[in-house]
Amino acid sequence: MTDDELDERIRRAARGYNAPPETPREEMWARIAEARRAHASTPTDEAPATPSEARVIPLRRWRLVGLAAAAAAILAVGVGIGRVSTGPQVSSWEAPSTKGTAYRMAAQEHLGQSEAFLTLFRASVRRDGDYRLAAAAARQLLGTNRLLLDSPAAVDRRTRLLLEDLELVLAEIAQLSPHSRAEDLKLIRDGIEQGDVMPRLRTAVPAGSASTQGVL
Amino acid sequence: MQFGPEGLPDPFSQPFRAGRCPIAEVRDPYAPEPVSDAELIDRVLAGDPSAERALYDAHVDRVFRLVYRMAGDLDRAQDWVQETFIRAFEKLADFRGESALSTWLCSIAMSVSLNGLRKVKRFREREVSLDDALPVGFTPREADPDLKTRLAQAIENLPEGYRAVFVMHDVEGFTHEEIGRALGVQAGTSKAQLFRARAKLRQALADFAGDRSG
Repeated sequence: MTDDELDERIRRAARGYNAPPETPREEMWARIAEARRAHASTPTDEAPATPSEARVIPLRRWRLVGLAAAAAAILAVGVGIGRVSTGPQVSSWEAPSTKGTAYRMAAQEHLGQSEAFLTLFRASVRRDGDYRLAAAAARQLLGTNRLLLDSPAAVDRRTRLLLEDLELVLAEIAQLSPHSRAEDLKLIRDGIEQGDVMPRLRTAVPAGSASTQGVL
Repeated sequence: MQFGPEGLPDPFSQPFRAGRCPIAEVRDPYAPEPVSDAELIDRVLAGDPSAERALYDAHVDRVFRLVYRMAGDLDRAQDWVQETFIRAFEKLADFRGESALSTWLCSIAMSVSLNGLRKVKRFREREVSLDDALPVGFTPREADPDLKTRLAQAIENLPEGYRAVFVMHDVEGFTHEEIGRALGVQAGTSKAQLFRARAKLRQALADFAGDRSG
């Protein structure tokens, strides 16, 4: 085979090199527009010295912010459940089923979000080691987790045990700081692996649950 | 429907190049009048947000394709495309129209991508993960029979400038003039780098020279 023939063969094969998927237009535009809005609302004397880089919203942070927002929404639902469960005006025939269904929905939503969060967290630990946002998101999820554990509707033993194990993991992540050592991360990873937290979360969340749709 | 000088532009009059589809350039006669880049730039500079979106829509595919080819990772490619457009909107007033807007955007995209790749490389060099360490006595497989896998590895191993030119020319179909403008080098330099990149790839894939299977 001549050099030209080999070149041609390489060129043909190279067309498949890092073949791009369909352009995720909307997702990228949402982040660009957000960054542009933030830029427009920043007074010029507070603008960062290095121009665009400081304003770029990394995809992982964008997703974590989404998770935190979703967790806050669940928290509101959880507070609602707490109020319903203690409110004297709930009629006796309606209370058990409504409470149970609402609790199950909130718990599934929370467990789905937690599963997505832990998946992202495990990936980000391996990639860049910025844990501040992860810690913030974990704190949000921790609040919801505690609310679900404290709810009088938390009668299912398996869900309770899962929430308790999840609480430990989330509490460890919530305490991470930029100074955290590799051993801390290893402990968290061990906690996730040894308690079979991920498989249990996946089992607890029905496939196609709305909790993970639109977040990832 | 007639093609040629009297009718619609003849899409078959131009040679096909990878990454470009001449048929896509034939305009739907019922579609609204296309807005020129110059007009869009004026509107963006005047503060029209819909013009920002229109400019993004007009160029994002090409920028994304190029950036993804360099990044090889969807998350990273999205971050870099985002940074490209943010920078472009910030510096749009400095764009003097000496090259096409798409070429200018690609020059920003390449600058962002090359910077990003340097950071990734530095991070990978620092990262020592016990999980990823090879067990003692493990020898990486030297001969992978798959040309595409070996080629991908060989392209990643090219020096930065060679890789950029090879990806832009042989993979994405840019001309040497466009590459020169995007990378801030002469077209002749781009040709020379492509020549060397191909030579290095031939060298890395020499064992395929005797293999006649496609």
